[in-house]
Amino acid sequence: MKIQYNNSPSGLPVTLTGFESINRYWDEKHDIYAAKILPGEFYVSVSGELITTVLGSCISACIRDRKTGIGGMNHFMLPTDIRRNPNSWNDTPVNMQTRYGNIAMERLINVILASGGKRSNLEIKLFGGGKVLQIDTDIGGKNISFVKQYLMTEGLKVAAEDVGGIYPRKVLYFPKSGRVRVKKLINEHNDTVKQREKKYIKSLDTSPIEGRIDLF
Amino acid sequence: MINILLVDDSVSMREMVSFTLNQAGHNITEAEDGVQALEIAQSNTFDLVITDINMPRMDGITLTAQLRGLDDFTFTPILILTTETSEPRKIEAKQAGATGWIEKPFDPDHLLATINKVI
Repeated sequence: MKIQYNNSPSGLPVTLTGFESINRYWDEKHDIYAAKILPGEFYVSVSGELITTVLGSCISACIRDRKTGIGGMNHFMLPTDIRRNPNSWNDTPVNMQTRYGNIAMERLINVILASGGKRSNLEIKLFGGGKVLQIDTDIGGKNISFVKQYLMTEGLKVAAEDVGGIYPRKVLYFPKSGRVRVKKLINEHNDTVKQREKKYIKSLDTSPIEGRIDLF
Repeated sequence: MINILLVDDSVSMREMVSFTLNQAGHNITEAEDGVQALEIAQSNTFDLVITDINMPRMDGITLTAQLRGLDDFTFTPILILTTETSEPRKIEAKQAGATGWIEKPFDPDHLLATINKVI
């Protein structure tokens, strides 16, 4: 991966190429530039920005290099509908859910490592995976199990976590210091979080979970 | 059955790819980065190499170019298996001597079909 820096418009801090579409702004309350990510997105800050998101059943891994302070956050859930893809791999270690989740984690880690991070310096914190959506399966629980299994296989330790439960969470991550603030949205009256997650589930269930293949 | 050298720094990715290839009866040797792969390649031959790009010590494109310099790997198919989607990197891989480019997440059936096409 070749890391390229973009000089951003409107006085926004420098960001990495590939993250131009992420919503970034000046956060008056915390007196810092912030990047807000949505389901399916991830962001790595090289400028000490705050990274924020709101999680329901989805999970976010906040990962940084302790020494450089470069770090980022992802926001994903595993695809739910395996019926659309009935094949002999569904009950194996290479089922669609595992393949998708694996890449959500690998993309984030790859950018941090390519930006000068070292695997041995990685600090990992986990959030989300709530039982928020009123559907039969515990999607949040599956997301938590997946991430923990993935990190164990990769030999990466979890430094802190706030996962599960029944409430959505707003997460504020400061990769430079590693500090995280989590606010449980106990009195959430609007259902924006649920609606966003349902839309995300639908997009996962209708778009292909497979990359391109090119033979030269 | 063919002998495959699989190079990836992610343990879980190596496990997934190995599982897929084992199901098809192939024989897998794993390496965790380009340097280790090159060491293995000095004293072993393979029918196919599958390599990630972003790895510590030596990336997959450098590995591809180095393998092409070894007599035993001049014509060995080398497939890149990566999370990258960048066209310039794809061109670099091609110029380094790669045979094909597969973006993760891979579909197990399509991975096996691609292997059958190139060997």
